[in-house]
Amino acid sequence: MPLNNKNYKAISVSNLTKKFNFSVKNPKLSWYKNLVSSEKKEIIAVNNISFSLEPGERVAFIGPNGAGKSTTIKMLTGILFPSSGKINILGLDPTRDRKKLAYQIGTVFGQRSQLLPNLPLTDSFEFFGVMYDLSDSEIKERITELTTLFDLSAFIDQPVRKLSLGQRMRAEVAVSLIHKPKIILLDEPTIGLDIVAKKTLRDLLLKINGEEGVTILLTSHDVGDIESLCSRTIIINNGEIIKDLATEDLAKTFVFEKYIDLVPTTKFSDFIDLPAGLEYSVKTPNLITVIADINKISVQNSIRKLLDAYDAEDINVYNTDLESVIRRIYEKGN
Amino acid sequence: MNKEIKFAMYAIKKNIQNGAELRGSFLINIFGMVINNVAYIFLWVYFIKSVGVVGGWTAADIIGLQAFVAIGYGFVFSTMMGIRKIPEYINSGSFDRFILSPKNLLIRIATASFNASAIGDLIFGLICFAVYIILISANFYQFLMMLVLVVLATIANLAISIIVGASSFFFMDPEAITKGFFDLFFAPSLFHGGAFQGALRFVFTFIIPSLVIGTLPVEAVRNMSLGKLALVAILAFVWFFIALRFFRYAVKKYESSNFMTFGSQ
Repeated sequence: MPLNNKNYKAISVSNLTKKFNFSVKNPKLSWYKNLVSSEKKEIIAVNNISFSLEPGERVAFIGPNGAGKSTTIKMLTGILFPSSGKINILGLDPTRDRKKLAYQIGTVFGQRSQLLPNLPLTDSFEFFGVMYDLSDSEIKERITELTTLFDLSAFIDQPVRKLSLGQRMRAEVAVSLIHKPKIILLDEPTIGLDIVAKKTLRDLLLKINGEEGVTILLTSHDVGDIESLCSRTIIINNGEIIKDLATEDLAKTFVFEKYIDLVPTTKFSDFIDLPAGLEYSVKTPNLITVIADINKISVQNSIRKLLDAYDAEDINVYNTDLESVIRRIYEKGN
Repeated sequence: MNKEIKFAMYAIKKNIQNGAELRGSFLINIFGMVINNVAYIFLWVYFIKSVGVVGGWTAADIIGLQAFVAIGYGFVFSTMMGIRKIPEYINSGSFDRFILSPKNLLIRIATASFNASAIGDLIFGLICFAVYIILISANFYQFLMMLVLVVLATIANLAISIIVGASSFFFMDPEAITKGFFDLFFAPSLFHGGAFQGALRFVFTFIIPSLVIGTLPVEAVRNMSLGKLALVAILAFVWFFIALRFFRYAVKKYESSNFMTFGSQ
């Protein structure tokens, strides 16, 4: 499929649904009756979702635990079969073209390693190179490229089990790129990493997106991943897409809300009932944070009301950060 | 198919290298298993020497039985230990990474793991094979028959291992259940064939084909029976065909889980 075709999508998902069935005990029946006849329960993990990604896009696919993120990623990669709906990845259907698709995509699951633990990292590169049918010279060339790109030379000859978590995650991403995939799907790639390792990994992902045009779809609970890596964010909750927008617009979702921090002269003791448009976010003796809905009450009026009620030494007014925005979206989704 | 085989051979080589990196446990596992098996066979041979022939089976037959079973078991689980680990892969969710591979799923899983102690079984099996040839003073045709039968017994061994491993996809607690199934299949294969008569022999030949991997090959060699050779061949290929179909069907039941895992072993 030509990349210059305007209608060409790297990933296209329409009306995708995944249901799981499992047995549940009937509490009214005795254990031996439950043993021979169990009831079936069905849960809908992903409910009729549709979205698409352009080639070269960097998209965050986020949601609270159990929202359906990983289930969706697993259906996109062919790990799980959808209950209904269609998936098209680079013109391929993951349920029918699993092997062909594997040559086109790279995957990183932050909680799972695909490296050979006892052997030097080079062996893992070689292993995956052979798996993707690369010739010896292609493997050598690609190892050199990736070693430079990911700065792996200091530990490329070390057994994988001796690597730090940050080094291992860099290696995981590098290995997943050995076959030059057009799309990389990352499930929690920065989980457990320190802030330096996180930044390094994010910079590398931006680099491969810029230099090799790799489309990136990632799930993460880390707002830093979303802010610094992804130009677009899709939010899923209870199996349904509740937001699909540019990441910079996501921060503006609650732009009508202002946060007001009050620091007491001594200590706050009595907390007054707030007028319409104001609500407490934090209510402690040392700090009060109030969320003001400026559609209902102006910032000026909000501050006046608060200063009338409280003896404050310091006051701070600010827009909400992205993490709070996302938290509010999740909470509203529930 | 060439690429699949090339990759399978490469994966087996890498698995052995990966296991051999931990030199101490690698060697202990291999030689520990050889010693364990030798002790087991001494018990049987001593027993038969004491009571004479048991159900038509001599001490030499017991050694032959051990040869067929141990070679098949040793070959399958040294090179293709991944089959035995399917329940573990399913339980942990690490089965995912095999589905993401561009290779034949069964070959990829089978060659994902290596078991050093099964090399011990293989070595033990080969020693028993040589001893058996000497004890029965095998002629050329018997030797040829033994070679064919050892291949067939290994295919049957592989087929049943695939079926048992693939049954994991249907259970919530696959590790415990498949261990039971493996025991059900392998334990009877180590008893002398004289113990299996009438309905019992029918069950352990056609329903749980434990006798196909040891007892029937020994009886075929001992009696130079082409009928039994044909029976072993038919059963080995039929079970292998069933195993491939069953695996393809079962893998569609896979529901990935989210436990944290590390490494490919």
